Amino acid sequence: MKPLLAVNGVKTFYGNIEALKGISLTAGSGEIIALLGANGAGKTTALKTIVGLTPPGEGQIIYAGGDITGKRPEDLIRKGLVLVPEGRHIFPALTVSENLMMGAFHRADKNEIASDLEYVFKLFPKLKERLNQSGGTLSGGEQQMLAISRGLMGRPKLLLLDEPSLGLAPIIIGQIFETIREINVSQKTTMILVEQNAKLALTVAGRAYIMTAGRVAMSGAAEELQNDENIRRAYLGG
Amino acid sequence: MPQISSKTSKPVLRALFSALWLAFLALPILVFRVNSISGIIEYQWSRLPKLLAAGFLASLLWNYFQKRHLLKQESPKAGSSSAGPPITWADRFLARTDRYRWLSLLGFGLMVLPFFCSPYAVKILTTALIYITLGLGLNIVVGVSGLLHLGYAAFFAVGAYVYGLLNYYFGWGFWVCLPLGTLSAALAGLLLGLPVIRLTGDYLAIVTLGFGEIVRLLLTNSSLTMGPRGIGNIPPPGFFGLDLNEKFRPFLVEHLALNPYMDLNKIWIYLIILLIVVLTTIAALRLENSRLGRAWLALREDETACQSVGISPSQAKLTALTLGSSFAGLAGVVFAAQITFIAPSSFSFMDSIYILTIVVLGGMGSISGVIAGAAVISCLPEFLREAEEYRFLIFGALMVLMMVYRPQGLIRSVRSVCSRS
Ligand SMILES: Nc1ncnc2c1ncn2[C@@H]1O[C@H](COP(=O)(O)OP(=O)(O)O)[C@@H](O)[C@H]1O
Ligand SMILES: [Mg+2]
Repeated sequence: MKPLLAVNGVKTFYGNIEALKGISLTAGSGEIIALLGANGAGKTTALKTIVGLTPPGEGQIIYAGGDITGKRPEDLIRKGLVLVPEGRHIFPALTVSENLMMGAFHRADKNEIASDLEYVFKLFPKLKERLNQSGGTLSGGEQQMLAISRGLMGRPKLLLLDEPSLGLAPIIIGQIFETIREINVSQKTTMILVEQNAKLALTVAGRAYIMTAGRVAMSGAAEELQNDENIRRAYLGG
Repeated sequence: MPQISSKTSKPVLRALFSALWLAFLALPILVFRVNSISGIIEYQWSRLPKLLAAGFLASLLWNYFQKRHLLKQESPKAGSSSAGPPITWADRFLARTDRYRWLSLLGFGLMVLPFFCSPYAVKILTTALIYITLGLGLNIVVGVSGLLHLGYAAFFAVGAYVYGLLNYYFGWGFWVCLPLGTLSAALAGLLLGLPVIRLTGDYLAIVTLGFGEIVRLLLTNSSLTMGPRGIGNIPPPGFFGLDLNEKFRPFLVEHLALNPYMDLNKIWIYLIILLIVVLTTIAALRLENSRLGRAWLALREDETACQSVGISPSQAKLTALTLGSSFAGLAGVVFAAQITFIAPSSFSFMDSIYILTIVVLGGMGSISGVIAGAAVISCLPEFLREAEEYRFLIFGALMVLMMVYRPQGLIRSVRSVCSRS
């Protein structure tokens, strides 16, 4: 079967800086893949390139059978490519419910939006309690839940999560990763999970790519990478 | 016992505070009176107690209605589990017609008002309405979209000069120039938008300031626009080719005993700008609740967040600047017709700041606030004319006080944008 997403030899530039030096990766339908690597390796850039925020200078991106290289992010989100950005970036002055509705900005199917809202509340009951509270007054964990929920309100086929554990307490991280797994199981949503916390990411991901300095240095099944002593020491911090 | 007293005293205290605040704001308008003939300032302190009482009462009433409104909103929720009386469409319709009745009464009052006013008062009222249009336009850019714009008067100038120039060179009339001026200002807004797509915050402020100055300097130094001397003899808007004063004034004076010195052309302009204000207010309200309005709101909040929900920040910026500027063009054409003489000095940086003050004073993003702010700001200079040197001092003090004590503006913005859940 063809993968949902195939990135082929993509290079991305910030001015003269070559942030991605030709990366290739695939994500099969229903899969969770992890994108690991040190700070500055190019993980965020890879996600931004996939959703069209930083169009590639070279290479090709195939999604759901079509070439989406160079397409605009507004058009790609309609096709189900949704990014939950690093650092959450919720709308601080808008209420929780307004934030969620913003996630459905490009949609007009009222009934389905309402049912997605119900689904999101089932995943994160805390958000329902805070419905009329402004996003900026939520705790870090709640903001991350809101960011993921806002992403889900866009009806993603491919959900890209950029460091969802960033700056959160271990208990909250556990809850969020549990929910990520649940979304994947119940909705069959394909996901690319960017994480610094490799150990954690490998518990939910089926496969992983390890990036260093704008390149994919290593890839394989999650268990393999987890159990390989040398790889653990070299890339995953023990 | 103490509970009861505290419950009753709270709204009273608030009303008292509001009354003091209103008295302070209105002091220059109602208490200091410039006698333009003898050139002195008269103080009418006897008006102060009346003003305080009126403010106090108005605030109490406002509170009462707001509470009633809140109760109405809450009651269906509370009653949903038990058997509360369900709200039918008929109730809603009645509530609406109630509001419409008040609004149409207000509209009618504003329509007949100029016929009973001095020409001087008509001029101030017209100016206030022009400022409301400007405030509503800039509110889209600054208040709703969060783009700090310091050159808004330039677009006002575009509207005014389109009418002035097209009339001077080709003899084109008001009604042709009104849409042309609006369109030209919108185009100028788009033109400014293209290079600043990537800018935010302070950088955007500096570029818009520069743009405003460039437009003013162009107008000052071009012989096409008659330089600093400006363009005079701009005609009033036509009324089916009739001379209003000749045709209708004798009738009005004779049969309705109205002021024989009133200028019907000026009243006609007043009525036009009144209609424009009504239409632009409706447009602003509709925009606020539209997809475009939500995109602007998202832009004000966070660009990265915008992008991750599929809103293009650059498109949001361009549309905000284009539409916001079109309001200024509209106001500019009317302004040129009203004062009949335009010069670059009418569109300086300080005028941009005036309009910005309206938006800030009114409460960023709040449409009713902008209307209140425009009313206050447009009347201040008229009554502070003699205190020219202190004008900006008073303005500055007002701004600082506002920021410290009422950062949400005169009327807090109430969003109903996307809370449809
Ligand atoms: N907007 C930008 N302009 C210039 N360089 C950037 C920009 N964003 C990221 N970079 C550079 O690109 C490289 C990859 O960054 P990033 O994708 O954020 O890495 P990661 O997410 O893995 O930490 C880094 O060297 C970073 O300095
Ligand atoms: Mg990153």
